Amino acid sequence: MTSLAMNKPDSRESSGKREAIVSIRGLSHSFARADGTMVTALHDISLDVSAGEFVCILGRSGHGKTTLLNLIAGFLPTKQGEVRVLGRPVVSPGIDRGVIFQRDAVFPWMRVTDNVDFGLRMRGVKKSERDRIVTKYLGLVGLSSVAKVWPRELSGGMRARVAIAAVFANDPPILLADEPFGALDYVTRRQLQVVLHDLWRSTGKTVLFVTHDVDEAMTLGTRVIVIGNGAIAADCSIDLPMPRTDDVIATEHGLALKHVLLHHIGLE
Amino acid sequence: MAAADPDLPAVAGPVGGDQLPLWRLEIGRFLVAVAGIAIFLAVWTGAAALMPESRLVSPAKAAEDLVANFVFSPRLDVFGLGDAGYGLLMLYTLKNVLIGLSAGAASGILLGVASVFIRPLRAAIDPIVLVMGTVPVLVAAPLFLLWFGIVPFTQILLVAFYSAVMMMLFSQKAVENLDPIYERSAMTFGATLSQRLRHIFIPGSIPELVGGLRITLASAWGLEVFAEILGAPSGIGQAIKALTNLNNVSGLLACVVIVAVVAIATDALLVLLARRITRWAR
Repeated sequence: MTSLAMNKPDSRESSGKREAIVSIRGLSHSFARADGTMVTALHDISLDVSAGEFVCILGRSGHGKTTLLNLIAGFLPTKQGEVRVLGRPVVSPGIDRGVIFQRDAVFPWMRVTDNVDFGLRMRGVKKSERDRIVTKYLGLVGLSSVAKVWPRELSGGMRARVAIAAVFANDPPILLADEPFGALDYVTRRQLQVVLHDLWRSTGKTVLFVTHDVDEAMTLGTRVIVIGNGAIAADCSIDLPMPRTDDVIATEHGLALKHVLLHHIGLE
Repeated sequence: MAAADPDLPAVAGPVGGDQLPLWRLEIGRFLVAVAGIAIFLAVWTGAAALMPESRLVSPAKAAEDLVANFVFSPRLDVFGLGDAGYGLLMLYTLKNVLIGLSAGAASGILLGVASVFIRPLRAAIDPIVLVMGTVPVLVAAPLFLLWFGIVPFTQILLVAFYSAVMMMLFSQKAVENLDPIYERSAMTFGATLSQRLRHIFIPGSIPELVGGLRITLASAWGLEVFAEILGAPSGIGQAIKALTNLNNVSGLLACVVIVAVVAIATDALLVLLARRITRWAR
């Protein structure tokens, strides 16, 4: 066994004494199917996320990853257990948790610049300040030349860039991403991983990133939580150097980590 | 509306069809339309030749009548319409439809959208929509006449009431059909309910609202003209009533043409306006 930092969630002390920015205790969630039978999506999840972490929530489809994210986002009501963000229980969506959705959620009736500006406008930020922020983030995601374009005129990858710029422009301390690059081609996905990772490194936000892709989790995460059958199957620190190029992941340590993740996700 | 493949260029020809340039397709469509109108006029002319003039006159005769009576039509004077021609009478009809439609549609959209969010309002509105959407509002037209008299307000109110009911229905559907992901997203950006209404629900439902408005406008013409026939101080419906009493077929045909032309023109204007407002959606 290599020097993997494997922790049970309850004994997690490795990130020092920093206060948990997201704190989940005994969270369970179940749905009623149309025929009346109940499906347990999450079972007794407890989890602390510290400020500045990039946590990848890894798991197969239908194992509860998105449900967990939706509960943290406040899209679903917490029925059993507790979700606290910045010390307060989650009751609804809020500006402290920006979301990059699985599906395209860019507003089609607003031009690119108005999409990025949206959160700032809603919060009544001064026009000059808004312009400065919007210009900055459009530049950081490489969309300056299409600021005045309608979203339908962009490719899926460019719309994902709009979504990223809009969330960062609104400056939430926590960013929730639900397989945001799942529908994109391989090259675009790799490019956007770099865009997101750079923005995370420069802003120090806390990120919870849902993915079913082991390589994506290892490329992005400082920590990977494997969800299987609605429970935490593993919680691993990814202590590989950044940026996580293919060479970094292909080291002995990287491959050992990958094997552990593959094992917990249900392969090997 | 299925989203186009994001990686394809925005304008793509029909898959597997002949790769004709766009302008040639447009010209082709135009020629087909002209041919359709020509066939229609030819059939009309043929039928008119076979029938007595008291039943049907040729398009040429109808056109002659239209031109002669467009501005002034002394023969309508005996019916208390002064010497106003079809054109002036149509102006009254147009004005009533536009006022009624604007007022009705605006209040209908407002109430319809609001009723999606305010449950008691929905409970109060839905039975009205159900009844008035099922029973033709024409049935109530004589009552409106009794209550409010032979004044423009009677017809305007009828059109407004009908437009409000229709647009309530369309706006409820439009808001409910909007992908909930947009509201969720807006909430994570801190948008309040009124901000979500203004920036998400209203713009997001505009393409469906425009479709509803076109349907409402199309039926509003029939409603207005019928209300005028029942009783009105002016309007093309009054001319139609008078010409029916005179057994004047050419005049009646001229009136039908006028109503049709104005209805098509206003619809085209609405489409142009809608294209501008919803240019993000195409």
